[in-house]
Amino acid sequence: MRITFWGVRGSIPAPGPETNRYGGNTSCVSIRTRTDELIIIDMGTGLMHLGNKLVKGEFGRGQGVATVLLSHCHWDHIQGFPFFPVVFIPGNRFNVYGNAKSSSMLEGILEGQMNPHFSPIYTLKNLGATIDFHAVEHGEPFEASGVRIRARPNPHGVTTALAFRVEEAGKSFVYASDVGYPDSGPSAEMLELYRGADLLLHDCTYTIDDQMTRRNRGFSSYADAASVAVTAQAKHLIMFHYDQDYSDDKVDALRDECRKELDRLGGESIGLTAAAEGTSIDL
Amino acid sequence: MRVRFWGVRGSIPVPGPQTNRYGGNTSCVEVRPKGATPIIIDAGTGIRKLGKLFMQSEFGDGRGVAHLLISHTHWDHIQGLPFFSPLYQQGNELHLFARQRNDMHLRAIFESQTEDPYFPVPMSTLKADIRFHELVEGQRFDIGRAKITCTRLNHPWIAMAYRIDVDGAAMVYASDTAPFTDILLEQEFIREPPILGEPIDPAKLAKLEVMRSGLVHLCRGADLLIYDTQFTQKEYCSRPHWGHSTPDDAIAIAREAGVATLALYHHAQWRSDDQQDEILHDYRAKTIGEPFELIAAHEGMELILGDDD
Repeated sequence: MRITFWGVRGSIPAPGPETNRYGGNTSCVSIRTRTDELIIIDMGTGLMHLGNKLVKGEFGRGQGVATVLLSHCHWDHIQGFPFFPVVFIPGNRFNVYGNAKSSSMLEGILEGQMNPHFSPIYTLKNLGATIDFHAVEHGEPFEASGVRIRARPNPHGVTTALAFRVEEAGKSFVYASDVGYPDSGPSAEMLELYRGADLLLHDCTYTIDDQMTRRNRGFSSYADAASVAVTAQAKHLIMFHYDQDYSDDKVDALRDECRKELDRLGGESIGLTAAAEGTSIDL
Repeated sequence: MRVRFWGVRGSIPVPGPQTNRYGGNTSCVEVRPKGATPIIIDAGTGIRKLGKLFMQSEFGDGRGVAHLLISHTHWDHIQGLPFFSPLYQQGNELHLFARQRNDMHLRAIFESQTEDPYFPVPMSTLKADIRFHELVEGQRFDIGRAKITCTRLNHPWIAMAYRIDVDGAAMVYASDTAPFTDILLEQEFIREPPILGEPIDPAKLAKLEVMRSGLVHLCRGADLLIYDTQFTQKEYCSRPHWGHSTPDDAIAIAREAGVATLALYHHAQWRSDDQQDEILHDYRAKTIGEPFELIAAHEGMELILGDDD
């Protein structure tokens, strides 16, 4: 599978020259499977730019099908949805999997985003594409876009965010953004979800100091991410979801510190990438 | 007074090298009357950096007072508000003004923006004192020495234009609005764009004319007019129902109202800096001899109108 980053920023888009290299768009990652099926994880503002590419292919002709995995529905993970050009094209089909008590409640959350107070779209019914909603059963594997997916909820401040494990042909990609662990670290169930991942994308919002003063926000520091990667024996760690106030230079420094932390914890063999908008990793 | 632009983009923030010069943040303008507390117009993502600057002054000590005029509550005009740092500081005061709705209190609309599962910090728990002021078009009110007037714009659901008179000068903020000649956008979703140039129901036409003359009246003799010019003519023709104007529409209003400076604003999310330069260049050529100066708003642009410190 090929993983592409369309938005790597946390909380709110951060335009400006100081974010040109890593990018200022909010969370959005795509996966192209070996059979060229499409999986989208989270719908931050990066989704618009993915959509602008998709419109040139089958999605532009109303023949596209994609799986959408939503970690949670904070704005920075759904705010690209009304600007996803291919969702207006009849014939396209999207299967949206998210964290809600029921599928209709998940639909209601995205319906609320289109509310006429906030959006000229008024209602999901005005989007041309066919969208089916699925509340994810925690821990239960399901098949979508021809691959095996499992999801479990991580603590994220006052709420939870799903982490996803996507497996294809013996290779695994884990997406674990927006997580703030308790002092005891990740639960055994979460470590089991992460275990041995070929690619572990993990929340890396903060420096250690910033994380200490903002613990209630439910995000990780690079040190949390490094620790999880070592404990779960991941093969490669991808840093993701940088704070909106961090410049490119600061993210460079975050990556250097994360490398040192991995080495210090005995994870010298674990690869490290700081996700940057517009780049891809082949697995 | 000083007018400073913190976000000039329409619809959705667009980070990236192609927007470095004009800026990728959504709508936010700061108006600072001489020696007075700030008036902010719209709370797009641009308000985040304004809030950080405010925290270095009396807002950091919880002694700040700001007035926020909201044109309308579409996402790109309110999405920065939960990231406005002064709201998290006890003692600060924010007065929020927007047009009233019949179906819901303004407070409830804004509170629903920060409810679970959309945002982790509910507005009702913020430490600053937030007071809501519901407006109707035509209303006049004062913020300190500043005289505020407002009129209705032609945009889906509702949008208001504001005029601020203070320090011997006047500025008008008119965003978002469609032109007043083709269709009336009020409360329904328009799936199929109307065919441009087709006859319009006379009752609607009369309403549009009232709305337009109200805006011209509001802009009369202003030193600065900030106007929604999201579209080129070609873009408008394929999206007449989106509720945005072109520079041609803004120029016609500026000319009729006799404004001194017209600022192009609410740039399309797909517009690169170079393209925006080209639009400004082309329209400057077209408006040679007009009695107003044409500029294109960019993040960080500051204009001084009338008396200033």
